Amino acid sequence: MTFPFPASDLLVILPELVLTQLALGILLWATVVRKGREATLAWVSIASLAAAAVLIPVAARLSGPLPRAAFGGMLTLDRFSIFFKVLVLLATAVTILFSLKFVGTSSYPGGEYYALLLFSAVGMLFMASGTHLVSIYIALELMALSQYVLAGYFKRETKSVEAAAKYFVLGAFSSGVLLYGISLVYGAAGSLDLGDVARSLAATPRSSLLGVGIVLTASGMLFKIASAPFHVWAPDVYEGAPTPISAFFSVGPKLAAYAIFARIFFVGFGPRAGDWAPVLAASAALTMVVGNVGALLQQNVKRMLGYSSIGHAGYALLGLLAYASGTDARGENFGLWAILIYLAAYLLMTLGAFGLVVLLEAKGYATESVDDFNGLSKKNPLAAAAMLVFLLSLAGIPPTAGFVGKYFLFSAAMKAGWPSLALLAVLMSAVSLFYYFRIARAMYLVEGEGELRWREEPAVAAAVAVCVAGTLLLGILPQPFVALAKSCLLP
Amino acid sequence: MIAAVLSGFAVALLAPALAKRLGRGAGAVLALYPAALFFRFLSRVPAVVAGETPSASLPFVPELGISLSFRLDGLALLMALLVTGIGAIVLVYAGTYLEGHPRRGPLLGLLVAFLSAMAGLVLCDDLLALFAFWEATSILSYFLIGFEREEAEARAAALQALLVTGGGGLALLAGFVLLGQAGGTLEVSALAANAEALKAHPLYLPALLLVLAGAFTKSAQVPFHFWLPGAMAAPTPVSAYLHSATMVKAGVFLLARLHPALGGTREWVWVVTSVGAATMLTGALLSVGQRDLKRLLAFSTVSALGSLTMLVGVGTPAALGAAMVFLLAHALYKAALFLVAGILDHEAGTRDATRLGGLLPLLPATGVAAMAAAFSMAGLPPLLGFVSKELLYDAALRASPLPFVLVPVAVGSNMLLVAVALTVGFGPFTGPRGATSKLPHEAPVAMWAGPALLGFGSLAAGVFSGALSPFLSAAASSALGHPYGVRLELWHGFSLVLLKSLVTLVVGVALYRGRHRLRAFAERFAPLGALGPARLWRAGLAGLVSVAKGTAAFLSSGSLRQDVRVVVVAAVALLGPLLLSRGTFGAADALPSVRPIEAVLALLVVAGAVGAVVAGSRLSAVVGLGVTGYGIALLFLVFGAPDLSMTQFAVETLSVLLFVAVLRRLPRLRSRSAPRSRAVDAALAAAVGALMAGLVLAVHAGPLRSRLSGFFAESSLPLAKGRNVVNVILVDFRGLDTLGEITVLAVAALGVLSLVRLRLAAKGTAGAKEGGR
Amino acid sequence: MTVLLALAIGVLYAAGTYLLLRRSAVRVVFGLALLGHAANLLVFTAGRLVREGPPIVPPGALAPPTPSADPLPQALVLTAIVIGFGVQAFALVLLRRACQEAGTDDVDAMREERP
Repeated sequence: MTFPFPASDLLVILPELVLTQLALGILLWATVVRKGREATLAWVSIASLAAAAVLIPVAARLSGPLPRAAFGGMLTLDRFSIFFKVLVLLATAVTILFSLKFVGTSSYPGGEYYALLLFSAVGMLFMASGTHLVSIYIALELMALSQYVLAGYFKRETKSVEAAAKYFVLGAFSSGVLLYGISLVYGAAGSLDLGDVARSLAATPRSSLLGVGIVLTASGMLFKIASAPFHVWAPDVYEGAPTPISAFFSVGPKLAAYAIFARIFFVGFGPRAGDWAPVLAASAALTMVVGNVGALLQQNVKRMLGYSSIGHAGYALLGLLAYASGTDARGENFGLWAILIYLAAYLLMTLGAFGLVVLLEAKGYATESVDDFNGLSKKNPLAAAAMLVFLLSLAGIPPTAGFVGKYFLFSAAMKAGWPSLALLAVLMSAVSLFYYFRIARAMYLVEGEGELRWREEPAVAAAVAVCVAGTLLLGILPQPFVALAKSCLLP
Repeated sequence: MIAAVLSGFAVALLAPALAKRLGRGAGAVLALYPAALFFRFLSRVPAVVAGETPSASLPFVPELGISLSFRLDGLALLMALLVTGIGAIVLVYAGTYLEGHPRRGPLLGLLVAFLSAMAGLVLCDDLLALFAFWEATSILSYFLIGFEREEAEARAAALQALLVTGGGGLALLAGFVLLGQAGGTLEVSALAANAEALKAHPLYLPALLLVLAGAFTKSAQVPFHFWLPGAMAAPTPVSAYLHSATMVKAGVFLLARLHPALGGTREWVWVVTSVGAATMLTGALLSVGQRDLKRLLAFSTVSALGSLTMLVGVGTPAALGAAMVFLLAHALYKAALFLVAGILDHEAGTRDATRLGGLLPLLPATGVAAMAAAFSMAGLPPLLGFVSKELLYDAALRASPLPFVLVPVAVGSNMLLVAVALTVGFGPFTGPRGATSKLPHEAPVAMWAGPALLGFGSLAAGVFSGALSPFLSAAASSALGHPYGVRLELWHGFSLVLLKSLVTLVVGVALYRGRHRLRAFAERFAPLGALGPARLWRAGLAGLVSVAKGTAAFLSSGSLRQDVRVVVVAAVALLGPLLLSRGTFGAADALPSVRPIEAVLALLVVAGAVGAVVAGSRLSAVVGLGVTGYGIALLFLVFGAPDLSMTQFAVETLSVLLFVAVLRRLPRLRSRSAPRSRAVDAALAAAVGALMAGLVLAVHAGPLRSRLSGFFAESSLPLAKGRNVVNVILVDFRGLDTLGEITVLAVAALGVLSLVRLRLAAKGTAGAKEGGR
Repeated sequence: MTVLLALAIGVLYAAGTYLLLRRSAVRVVFGLALLGHAANLLVFTAGRLVREGPPIVPPGALAPPTPSADPLPQALVLTAIVIGFGVQAFALVLLRRACQEAGTDDVDAMREERP
């Protein structure tokens, strides 16, 4: 640890600092902007996110060779963190696009809403970089607290308040669990710096304390990525929150949580992979079953997507497990880059599907029930085709991103010696065909009653188009993405 | 060639516009595409027969050694010719068949897309690409079967077919991944080159079983055969194409394709042969009870697929040769018969075999084509069906496992199929006129030309079967993995095989004459069919749904309390055993003595907590919370943490003020829970308490090895010029964290503000509610 | 003393969990507050209890006297207390809002009221 920190450390967090400033600025500006002019704030927010994204390579260039540790090892800027930062900024920007109409036509103040999204993004950016358990914890809290507020922001909808209350209580609980885990790890390893923790763990014998600490930390993480048995909040929150928020929750926080999950467990707890792998394996199995079986029954599309995202969290856990079993024949961490690809695919297809839910309006509100999709292929063949692409991708059918991601993940799990889990994942993918195709069936094989209306939102439509293109591109020409993901691994 | 095949997906997109512009001619125009492909493939026949295998490869993920490679060997060529040739015929037919249908364009488009996917499937040498095309055919067939979307039956059948074949496809993917692990490559040709090592690999059996699951579901083998008759809800051209000539053959094709790599082991021979034989018999037995022409044909297709599977399972050169010949013969006659069934349906208004008869004078062209196809199916010389049946019997007779089982199965099934063939292709055109709702007349030439061409093909291929030998030998050689010559002859001389063919025919014709009694007999067993796998399937789906309901009710009732319970139970169940089994509870590193002030403070904390629980009023509960908070603050002070103590005092005071301020507006406390649920919660809470207390003790069982505290203590003054180490850590060493902390607080304040401000804004409505309280 | 504190922490957790499972939303918030206290005390205790004195460098010295309390857990707890306060304040207002919207503080009834 070096001290005092060189001023150049500030360059490492340049994007975060700028984004925080811009968020505060938007908050101030919002006090003088009249309702109805708030779209400007949204576009400024998007521009802020873009600025942060542009500053990432600048920060990387200016602050020295990567990986660059800063603030005495509290944070690091490496390609792994950059990968997640870009995804997180993208997810936040798309969420703002999704919100434009919703916020614009409601009586809720927009400025604070966009500022909260930006604060949440700042938390996620820090999460991607955190290499010290306390920094990670605080970044997580920053993200989580912004999200508690966001979940309850549109509080005239009773569902939204209820969802917020539930998210909040369970989220606070899980933060507590994470905190105990961290303190126990400190007790056992004598340090909270992930590198030190790893060195200490490699040198110390097994202890129950450490085991409990790791399990508690894992529980906190499983909570954030909505994995069984800590998934219970997800379906209600996704259903209850307004659609843009549901979209955001199912992508942004999860990606950030995967970043710290991977970093804490690979870098920090790597030497004890044998201890935590069985816990993750059990959770992965349970998560896949609960998510996919739970989704079978859902009539509400958002709730179904909520359950299906639980299932996807289970698949992604396979990648974490695969890491635990080491590297592949070429000496590369197959599991980790499988997760990176999968998460990128997940971002594209999930945001795309939610985007269509935003765009298609039935009964004066965003689509809710599967039946709302009836006859869509006739009324809007393009929208139906786009949804079909996302559904195929979610179910893991080629030639889509979802297939490529799943293929790599399942292969990684097989390679790593978890064939039974990979087979369970395949079985659950078969189950998922059933519920995803209920929407396909509604779109293509059922005549509609004429309730569905296309909302004129060119920005959202453009975002969805980008998602379609990305989903297909990643599915047909995965090579560049694979190369990219491979350059973004953890050391 | 690959580009030509894949361009079909683009052609498919043109179909709706073409259909709008050209009307009934659209089918014929679209058919030019597969026809062109057909002749292109045909031009490759000499080269392939000569032993060449043109191939192409596109890099996909070089890091993993995955490339999309395609290879045109004899087997691929045979399938490709069938797919494109019959595809062209079906497109011409469908254009007319669906005349006036509002969604003719999309159907033609789907058919072209399907054609491309199927052609891609048979051409690829790479298992990953094969899987992609495989799933594409499943998905496209979903939309094709469910095409008549007004019919609930069609939608249900489509979903059933998709779930069975799509789910089987995923098993296939798992099998392919395992094969990739075991063989180190996903290229079929490379796997075959390394077959011995592959078969000795421990992953061989699981991989084989998964691949078989995929192939059997696609090719409608027992016990997955039930989806195929259900799929007859599809428009007839679709059935003719997917369910006789192409898609259902994909499973058999895959088995033949992988035979060089995986075949020949005891597991392969027994599993594949017995499943095939069982399917052959089941399909034949179930077919005689049917009246609907399409269902008759569907069950007989199940039987034919069974015999193909059986032959690939036996795996001898003779068997694979017979399989290739039968593949061709079956595609020719079955597609023709399906198309004829469609014509009858169209012209006579019924597909009920018992109501059709004496139509030959009215539909002469259709009738002749139908009879040619039916005679080929029945195995009458000199048609190709006869040649193929001879080879089948010959192979079965010489099969290594249990010829005395396979031969009766083959002969028995074929006797029944003779009756089916005549019922479908002969009965409707001969005998007395049946009672049909409309007066039938000859179909348009675009419709009867197809069956006529296929029927003529059956005849020509039979008569000139010798000329086909080199081509079919090339196909059999690909499936075998080494060169082999199939001998196709009409006349083998007097032999046991010929005798069997004769007996089959004679008994089959007799069965046909007594077909009404036979059907009546079979229909008596119809209730048994309800016990079959279709029912199991439905029960399985229903079971899945009810399991989902049950778990959903337990795992996420949607109630916050239930959710918390689940989480608490999970945490206790996860950690309790871990702590108990590996925990050492001691006080090696603890303070043994207790000072009176400490004991008093600890008791204060506990008393406050208990007070908050039992409190009946809001104020007393807040007082309890405050007592606990201040007690903790004093504990911090006693144990050398004055900063914590100060902070805690400040925060606690603020909290109590906040509570009291909001308290007035909060509802009164009321006890709502039933005693039983309270007891459960108390037990859960006690478990959590015990767990955490145990955790604290476990923490103190070993010494703490802090690496950093020493550093902080030593560098606090020299580096940061501060004497209070805690403060120095917060504002200097971990200043960034503190910055984050402040941001967190700011966000919390923002949240509070947004909630409070909205309340002010909404005072109008909220005030009314409050007034009532 | 450690044993005594362990028991106290256990009681805090038990009380907090029990309150969290009540139907009255007010009690749920009280439960959260108690759990917050419990967590702080747990982390503090995990850093070892010492009676010797705070980690403050006395005048004239370069480092705090040894033994003194471990400063790092203290810093962690301090952070947790402050964040906990923010969270609690938000919880109270959220609760207030939820009760107002739902017209009841019964957690279960809030659930059933949804359309």
